[in-house]
Amino acid sequence: MTDSKPLTGGGLLFNVLEQHGVHHVFGYPGGAIMPIYDALYDSNVKHFLCRHEQGAAFAAVGYARASGKIGVCMATSGPGATNLITGLADALADSIPLVAITGQVPTASMGSDAFQETDIFGLSLACTKHSFQVHHVDELEEVLHQAFKIALEGRQGPVLVDIPKDVQMAKVEQNYKSAAPLKNKVKLPLADISKALALLTHAKQPVLYVGGGVGMANAIEEVRTFARTAGIPSVSTLKGLGALDTTDKNYLGMLGMHGTKAANLAVHDCDLLIAVGARFDDRVTGKLDQFAPDAKVIHFDIDIAEINKRRKADAPILGDLKGNLPLLTMPLNIENWQAKVQKMKNNFKWRYDHPGEQIFAPAVLKEVSDLMPPNTCVTTDVGQHQMWAAQHMSFEDPCDFLTSGSMGTMGFGLPAAIGAQISRPHDTVIAVSGDGSIMMNVQELATIKRYQIPVKIVLIDNEKLGMVRQWQDLFFDGRLSETDLADNPDFCMLATAFDIKAKLITKKSEVTAAINEMLDHNGPYFLQVKIDAKENVWPLVPPNSANNEMMESA
Amino acid sequence: MNTLPLNNYTLIIMTDDKQVVLERILQVTRYRGFLIDGITASVNNANNIATIELLVSSDRPITLLIDQINKLVDIKSVKVDNNASQHSTTKECSA
Repeated sequence: MTDSKPLTGGGLLFNVLEQHGVHHVFGYPGGAIMPIYDALYDSNVKHFLCRHEQGAAFAAVGYARASGKIGVCMATSGPGATNLITGLADALADSIPLVAITGQVPTASMGSDAFQETDIFGLSLACTKHSFQVHHVDELEEVLHQAFKIALEGRQGPVLVDIPKDVQMAKVEQNYKSAAPLKNKVKLPLADISKALALLTHAKQPVLYVGGGVGMANAIEEVRTFARTAGIPSVSTLKGLGALDTTDKNYLGMLGMHGTKAANLAVHDCDLLIAVGARFDDRVTGKLDQFAPDAKVIHFDIDIAEINKRRKADAPILGDLKGNLPLLTMPLNIENWQAKVQKMKNNFKWRYDHPGEQIFAPAVLKEVSDLMPPNTCVTTDVGQHQMWAAQHMSFEDPCDFLTSGSMGTMGFGLPAAIGAQISRPHDTVIAVSGDGSIMMNVQELATIKRYQIPVKIVLIDNEKLGMVRQWQDLFFDGRLSETDLADNPDFCMLATAFDIKAKLITKKSEVTAAINEMLDHNGPYFLQVKIDAKENVWPLVPPNSANNEMMESA
Repeated sequence: MNTLPLNNYTLIIMTDDKQVVLERILQVTRYRGFLIDGITASVNNANNIATIELLVSSDRPITLLIDQINKLVDIKSVKVDNNASQHSTTKECSA
């Protein structure tokens, strides 16, 4: 703030953001948040204007996921606030720390159906970890501190703070005390380690099942040490990709609906499943009562509500993974099981020898993965390209693979890549998208143009809503209802309209040069890859089937 | 009826008397698959602690709901009142 102006609620907001180390926020102004944007004018916090509030929310999610910091987004009341909701729901479902600030109509107008008034506080209950509405400027500082604390503690998540316009404008008069400490309800540790140890030492066929909680607990080294020391076959969820060492010979890849055959068969046959920061999601388990049917379960989690939620844990271990996992780390005598699993792994290899001239999407994504520099961060949208990216690209850290896991939100990838690039300006950021998903937040190309954000966009284009089309072909008698997108715009022309260098490739022979050109380009780049539209994502566990009943072709 | 069926429960919830805490509890209860059969609530103004007695029914285990309500930021404790569950018809003020 400048000395000439008294500190207002809006100015206080940015002071608190700076106290929490926030340097970047994503948002969109409007009537009921104008005092905050007026205070922004004098602030050191850098604001990125996205072109839709949903884009701002996903940019904040991408920022948080790529950097491990908290993401901050802001929007005005009414439609601005409701446009944040999909981003908040996504952040809640994937446990992403976010603080969302919304402007609200003045307190005297609240509840009167005022212009651009909506009950965002009420709407937030189902899509945030917690939310606040500030009724007096004297409450504001403490509420903001609490918002940051709640977003980050325990299982992380989004917190919304709704601030009426008069509170934003009010002069701050109090001397503030520090925020009241919040009780951490997670009791550490829930010492059931002895039972887990007994299960582990008696197991003949154990499998390590790693989820997104590992990266969020900053326990990647602990998990890798456990896997290496035990020599245990390991599998990863979509959100866990990057946590395990992909060069570990016992690593079998992703499990679940589009997981590898080896991963699913090993889990199906195991006698002990060690779930680490994972929650037995339906896309992982397939038919739940046939998931790892003969296995005892050790379940590490920070959220007690995940223990026994979908699968009973024989040995639950609640608390900090980083502290608890080393307690179980030991060599195991499981040579026969390792050999059996190796055979499963060797029997199933990805194949890239696709016939014809048309481009095979898995091969393109494998090549992007091979050619991209170290520490590249990849985001995806949702659909076939997402699963192909998960299957055929390799990541060193979960921070390098940002995908809307639980919510499966189309439109995630482009704004998330923008946020990721802003948080990691020296790393390459690639948004892998599809021709359906890209249109969900295509307006964010304008954000790329405005700030010259050097995101590389790889558009996997089959002129279809490919995953829905695949399911219609396989499970709805080929009745292709509303999945044809042959009338999409000219994507290269569209990108060019935003001053983004663009290229279209349609043949296998063009792939390598195009990827290299994209990666070598200094600014943003849009690579449209027309693929063989007939391709499906394989393997596939059909709905309501066990994971050992995978389909490998139609 | 002196006893409730196995899938009826009475929860005693102690919570800070904060904004919309009751609404949060009701939202979580509905979303997690429990029907609300009755509710009484009172606030101790001396310490701003509210006590909420919630009668719920579901075919799901009650621990699932207890864990989810317990995650709400303002909640101090959640317990199943076994006595109340066995004699629910004698309770006062249940809706």
